[in-house]
Amino acid sequence: MTPEGSLLAAEGLRKAYGPTPALDGADFSIHPGEVVAVMGPSGSGKSTLLHCLAGIIRPDSGTVRYGPHTLTDLSDTHRSALRRTDFGFVFQFGQLVPELTCLENVALPLRLNATRRKAAEHRARDWLERLEVDDVAAKRPGEISGGQGQRVAVARALAPQPRVVFADEPTGALDSLNGERVLTLLTDAARDTSAAVVLVTHEARVAAYADREIVVRDGRVKDMAGRI
Amino acid sequence: MTLLRSRPGTDGERDTAPPALPAARRAPAVWARDLAMGMRFAAGGGREGWIRTALTAAGVALGVAVLLLGASAPTLMNAWHAREKARENLGQAHPPPPGDRTLLYASANTTFHGTAIRGRLVRPDGTRPPVPPGLDHLPGPGRMVVSPALKELLDSPGAGLLRERLGAYRIAGVIGDEGLQGPRELTYLAQSTTLGERDGYRIDHFGKNWEPRPLTAPATVLVIMTCVALLTPVMVFIGTSVRFGNERRERRLAALRLVGADVRTTRRIASGEALFGSLLGLLGGGLLFLAARQLAPAITLWDINVYSADVAPGPVTALLIAVLVPAAAVLVTLVAQRGVTVEPLGVVRHRPPVRRRLWWRLALPVLSALLLVPLVLRHRQPWDDTPVNTFRLAAGSTLLLFGITALLPWLVERVVGRLRGGPVPWQLAVRRLQLNSGPATRAVSGITVAVAGAIAIHMLMTGMQTGYAAAYAKSGQVPRISFWGHTDTWRSTERALAALRATPGVTAAHGTIDLNAGRMPAPGRDLSRDLPAVLTVGSCAELRHLARLPACKDGDVFVTDARPDRDTGITPGATLNLNPPLVYGEPAGRPRPWTVPPAARAARLLPSGDGHPRYYDLLLTPAALDPARYTAPDMQLDVDFDRGTPDAVEHIRNTAARIGPTMYESSSVDNPHDRQLDGVRTALFTGAVITLLLIGAGLIISTVEQLHERRRLLSVLDAHGTRRATLGWSVLWQTALPVALGLALAVTCGLTLGTLLLTIIGTGLAVDWAGIAGITAIGAAVILFVTALSLPPLWRMMRPDGLRTE
Repeated sequence: MTPEGSLLAAEGLRKAYGPTPALDGADFSIHPGEVVAVMGPSGSGKSTLLHCLAGIIRPDSGTVRYGPHTLTDLSDTHRSALRRTDFGFVFQFGQLVPELTCLENVALPLRLNATRRKAAEHRARDWLERLEVDDVAAKRPGEISGGQGQRVAVARALAPQPRVVFADEPTGALDSLNGERVLTLLTDAARDTSAAVVLVTHEARVAAYADREIVVRDGRVKDMAGRI
Repeated sequence: MTLLRSRPGTDGERDTAPPALPAARRAPAVWARDLAMGMRFAAGGGREGWIRTALTAAGVALGVAVLLLGASAPTLMNAWHAREKARENLGQAHPPPPGDRTLLYASANTTFHGTAIRGRLVRPDGTRPPVPPGLDHLPGPGRMVVSPALKELLDSPGAGLLRERLGAYRIAGVIGDEGLQGPRELTYLAQSTTLGERDGYRIDHFGKNWEPRPLTAPATVLVIMTCVALLTPVMVFIGTSVRFGNERRERRLAALRLVGADVRTTRRIASGEALFGSLLGLLGGGLLFLAARQLAPAITLWDINVYSADVAPGPVTALLIAVLVPAAAVLVTLVAQRGVTVEPLGVVRHRPPVRRRLWWRLALPVLSALLLVPLVLRHRQPWDDTPVNTFRLAAGSTLLLFGITALLPWLVERVVGRLRGGPVPWQLAVRRLQLNSGPATRAVSGITVAVAGAIAIHMLMTGMQTGYAAAYAKSGQVPRISFWGHTDTWRSTERALAALRATPGVTAAHGTIDLNAGRMPAPGRDLSRDLPAVLTVGSCAELRHLARLPACKDGDVFVTDARPDRDTGITPGATLNLNPPLVYGEPAGRPRPWTVPPAARAARLLPSGDGHPRYYDLLLTPAALDPARYTAPDMQLDVDFDRGTPDAVEHIRNTAARIGPTMYESSSVDNPHDRQLDGVRTALFTGAVITLLLIGAGLIISTVEQLHERRRLLSVLDAHGTRRATLGWSVLWQTALPVALGLALAVTCGLTLGTLLLTIIGTGLAVDWAGIAGITAIGAAVILFVTALSLPPLWRMMRPDGLRTE
């Protein structure tokens, strides 16, 4: 059963890489517009949990429910379609397509969803303005700073107006000033659009931007007290 | 102060001076150490290292094999010519008198089902005649020695008519290798008891003072362009393969920097890795060459067929190849590292994106134009085959081919730079090429040179053969075979005609006796410089096939209008010399006067069957001239036949062989040029396919390498829900764009070069559009092939594994 009102919920997730268990019966749920920080030490299974929740990988057992869909039962094609339409992603680094301009990078998920180029780029430009990086629209990722790149990545994640944004260590490669700015912009924009955010981090100061935090340890999830 | 010297670090003060550098080792020792270390890495560098080594070795092996085969061409031709020179002697300048050591020697060549067979007849004058190479002694009377290939042919079931033709001689042995030009040569040497003085030459030795003609300019250009067209893709392949697995190699080199290796050391180590592959390639190339030359006996090109042992490069050339090819591979590695500095914590690429300029890229084509265009502008003059012109032609062609490699990157950059919009896969491919088109263009430049070279070579070959082929095609439509040979009397000619008319398939046979006559000697007249007049003897019926005669009976003579522009001195009542010099410039013999009957009448010659004019100055019926007064008379026989009769041609040849084994045949019934052209066309097509596959392999390497370097990005795109098809199409466009541009440039340059060359050598233009379409289609197939093989690694790399950081 999905916890009442939750947008995305996982139950009893188990996933092992060879003999090493990454998730060992993890449960999780998130409500629309909620920002949940997933914390834990290195190797605890945070990223694996995020990948299972987003339908990037299929768990060995357990279920992930998203609205009326059981993600774990969907085919790869359907999960891919869901990721294009309903989910957004921000990773630590190496996520922008180097040969595309920043504007084209932000427009890319929209275009993958069959939005026409002009319309996609128009909306991408709005998001770049909102993330305060419209001045780098015509530049390629190799020509901008790391902070600007993460903001472009956030713009790209939010441009298709996803219902869930998955952010895996989004500030891991940034200095604290840039990191805070990126987190503020990400969480504010997500709240404005009622998007839920799953924020994987191992930094307590990053988790401070979340409404709720959970800790993954040895593949199990422990819910911490909420800060709402 | 203490008298004891303290040890550094033991007296409370740390020694802050930098550590002393080890004594500088000698440069060769340092190079040897680093190269050896690189070779060790190549040998033990894991799967990627081995793949790179194997690919480099494959490229070098192909390059070495091609070079060794190319370098063998001169020695091969020398050996081929030398054997011909040693075994032949069709006439000595000063014929020896008959003796114990002389023999009569004559040509008795024939053709069987379109294949030429070299025949030689001998009749020894004494007991110790000369023996040609490949034999211990001459065959006895009525016997013959044959080449192994001819023996095989004679033993085959379909050679009944040939067995009948040579049936006068029994096989007594096989000619040894040194007596043959090549293993597939069809030849025999028979002892004829009937060979007459007039049928052949008296000789006292075998071997002739004859030097082969040097290659003509078009042939030289063909050889050079073939080498360029074959070697460029091989070099491109080597360039691509040494870059394979660069990322891991750079990480390894960075680790070495961390433990103290300097930049030069890392470059030497990288060179050592390439050197290992090169040395393996050198070994492989040698083995490939040895294997390839075993195929030589099975190949006949332009009637040249040689033994495996003939295919051997000169020692200096072989040494140069052995040194230069591995050195080139190392050089490519060093060039590939230009602008890359391996630092202890990673690799720094400090090559800013440079906009490609056109001006210097045009230098090679412009230089080529400077060499070729003046030759084109004087094309109305006949081609002058001088060494300077040959050099200009070869250098101009080669520069144009190389110029393509410089023009292609600029062309790709300019064209791709102008592309906008389009669906996502197209946009990803275009943007990727806009960011860096170097690797793809580098691989494609090989295709471009190979295809342009193949088109130009093909045009040159087609153009060179078109004249012959057209003539053969035209004359071959007339089912006619002509023979000529020695005769003594009109009677024997009549017998020959009767025999031919009785042959299956013959519809008509006509013949005459041709002889020469000149002017009588006179003071101040150099007879050796006189062009002789042609007299032809035949019955009235035969002469009526040659000219429109008023009335004719045996004993009549007719003066023709053959050469109204030349005063031959042939008029009724004039005295002619029936013993003129047979060879222009030779001293005249004793004059043999004969007076043209004053009653000789005029006759108008009819054109020949193929429309060409005839050159008979005087037509004589048999009774008009005593055969005893003939000098070197030849009977000329024209035989028409029905193509519908099976093997009519071979039956006619058998009859001709019975009339006289030394009869010379002239016909257009077999067109050797068509077969040669087909052979060359097939060879070119095969070469183009192999080259394009090689380039395809290079493209796969660079595509997979690029995908491997972007595996994290591919995982991210997969996380965003990007369809596999989207990225698959992107790879297709990324491969197709440079290849399509390269092929367009290749076709343009190939056609331009072919047109220039054909115009220069004064041959009609001939473009084999089907061939060009075929080569272009193979290019398209390569694109699909590369894309198809790139998809499995692409999809493998789209898995989420790339997102894992722990």
